[in-house]
Amino acid sequence: MEKSRSGSMNFPDVSVVSTDCLKVNDLSFTYRSWGAKKNEPILSHLFCTLEEKSKTLLLAPFNTGKSTFARIISGVCPKYLPGSMEGDIQVCGKDLAYTEPWELLLTCGYVSQNPQEQFVATCVEDEVAFPLESLGLPQKEIAHRVDEALMQWGLEALRTSSNQELSGGERKRVLLAVQQAINPTLWVLDESFDDLDIHWRSQLADLIRKEDNTVLVLASRYLTQFDDLFDRYALLEEGRLHFGEKQEILSSFSRLCDDDLPNPLINQSISLKKEHMLSCASLTTERSRVSTLETNIFTLSVPSFSLKSGELRTLVGPNGSGKSTFSRLLCGLDTPKSGVFSLDERVVGTKELNRNVGYLFQNPDLQIFLPTVREELSWSLKRRKDLKNAQIQEMVNSCAALFSLDLDETPTTMSYPQRKALQAAVYYLLDRPFYILDELDNALTYSTALKIIALLRRNGAGILLITHDRTFGSLVSDQGYAITDGVLGGV
Amino acid sequence: MTTNTFVAGDAFLYHFDPRAKLLSLVLFCSWFFLPISLVGLYGVVFSIILLGSFNTGVHHTWRTFRSILPMLLFMVLFIPFNVRSGESLVTFGTFTFITREGALQAARLGGRFIGITYVCTLLFATTPMTEVMLSLRWYRLPYKASLVVTLAFTYIPFIADSFSQISESHKLREAGEETQKKNIFKRLSELLPTLTSALVVALRSIPNLAMSLEQRGFGRTEKRSMYHTLNAYTHPFTHFMLSIMIPVVLWVLCRT
Repeated sequence: MEKSRSGSMNFPDVSVVSTDCLKVNDLSFTYRSWGAKKNEPILSHLFCTLEEKSKTLLLAPFNTGKSTFARIISGVCPKYLPGSMEGDIQVCGKDLAYTEPWELLLTCGYVSQNPQEQFVATCVEDEVAFPLESLGLPQKEIAHRVDEALMQWGLEALRTSSNQELSGGERKRVLLAVQQAINPTLWVLDESFDDLDIHWRSQLADLIRKEDNTVLVLASRYLTQFDDLFDRYALLEEGRLHFGEKQEILSSFSRLCDDDLPNPLINQSISLKKEHMLSCASLTTERSRVSTLETNIFTLSVPSFSLKSGELRTLVGPNGSGKSTFSRLLCGLDTPKSGVFSLDERVVGTKELNRNVGYLFQNPDLQIFLPTVREELSWSLKRRKDLKNAQIQEMVNSCAALFSLDLDETPTTMSYPQRKALQAAVYYLLDRPFYILDELDNALTYSTALKIIALLRRNGAGILLITHDRTFGSLVSDQGYAITDGVLGGV
Repeated sequence: MTTNTFVAGDAFLYHFDPRAKLLSLVLFCSWFFLPISLVGLYGVVFSIILLGSFNTGVHHTWRTFRSILPMLLFMVLFIPFNVRSGESLVTFGTFTFITREGALQAARLGGRFIGITYVCTLLFATTPMTEVMLSLRWYRLPYKASLVVTLAFTYIPFIADSFSQISESHKLREAGEETQKKNIFKRLSELLPTLTSALVVALRSIPNLAMSLEQRGFGRTEKRSMYHTLNAYTHPFTHFMLSIMIPVVLWVLCRT
């Protein structure tokens, strides 16, 4: 049956009582095309049924419609993400074609992959309180639920902190606290384990295990915390959902993500032009949050750190431990309170660090800004006086081929892994001796992330990878640094 | 207006009733347009800056000043040239560059601009946004309208933050590619990609915000309850009286 929100068909009986929490029947969705080229359907004849209190893991490589599916069942797509949709969806007996997102507040709670996009209030406690106010709960009940959720997610000290002053992991914890405070029947968690450190990942896994709610976790890679957590496994492939036994789904997923391919970093041949070494000793820095008095001034101390050309090192630490703070110092965006950085045993300032250390932000959208891939790649090259136009074109073409990029594509409409690849390609052309990769693996398949690292390293760059995923970290390097209680040390 | 963000503190303005602060804001913004002496105007501006430094810290006060400095310079440099009549102060041959009236007008406009900026900044730096919203509702502004006002101010720090991250990204991408010093026009033209990126980020956040508001139950038929109240503020009457009396006394003292 074809149906659209704006369609003029007769209203069905929306009070159908069903024991299934989610029932998706023959769902197809195609994003509206903004150009001449028509989009292919991202979801095609998809069927899905989730029983009440079931825990389901839906695995899907990036750009296969995972988040689209999550947004459709939470009622905001196609309302805010235009496209044509066909099929029937019922969430706890409510037909989504005739249900507004606010009517699903107690029925379906969605935690987005990108936490920044879901914030509506100015501080942490107000964020948790906002949906409870929408429900019209008494003030005492709101205060009780807010306190409980903040305590559960270790956010008491940050309750009056501005959302802008939170780290990626802290933001994710705020959204999970919101979800817990509302406690809807169906939890849709889109890559919710990403950004969280080991402690909070385990806490989220425990919560899923303990609660009676129906849970759908959408992920683009299998994490160790998923072991024994789910009773159903599904794979999203070519717009359709396939349910099956755990091993069967995992092996299909692994094949789909090219995880069976050899690790490109093992025995990688590197063309090293000149060997460099970046180091620092007895470095300290301080950081404080201006929006709250409840947290102490954060101090990071680095007794010693070094990174050589061609080396791969990981940097791990809990959420808010200062990984990004250290990265900002290392690439010269901030200056330390005490201590200096040395490059090849020569003291260097922020400008030289800017020139020598490439920092790939977690969010690629903050680093790409031009209308086409071609312009994006050539932007920095055109500013160099030593390059002629023909040389620039040649470099851009070969770089695009290397990173599998279409030069005429518009970055803002590209998929997330493609934007990540473009961000890496931009830095590849800058040819920096060192790179910091801030949670590169977030929401990328291992294979894609490893390929990007190998490409950046092939000219001999030293790489510092920030990650929360121990499995991924071990694929990259067995040596690295960890931040514990404000001190950076070797592991 | 530089309503960057709330700056946590414990000085007396943080304990001043936000409803009275809102009234003060309106009265002071009007006060700057009353017929007052230039000395009085700058005296009040200086007192407000001192008040800001005491409540939110010297760093925040300086940051606010730095952010309005380009606009202020523009006003001070160009307004005197537009006023041609009156006593000449700077002449080139027979051509009058700056008149006394022009200089006075620039000084007055500059003083008003600084004063209004600091009054607004002080309100938002010492009052959490929820309390601004509660105060607006106390003044009978409908919930949706006050939400729009507070969301607009919530998004200023978000866009400012995106702008600063994008600028940093550009700084890292261009580092070392150009060694010669850039003139002001080159610098301004290079701001364009950063502004464009910030605009794209801001535009993309609009549907996300609408989506999130609806997912958080905005639009439901139940009457919204409120988590916060303004009950913790004691002596609201005294605060209201102070809010009215201070501008009135200052006007009496400074009027021409």
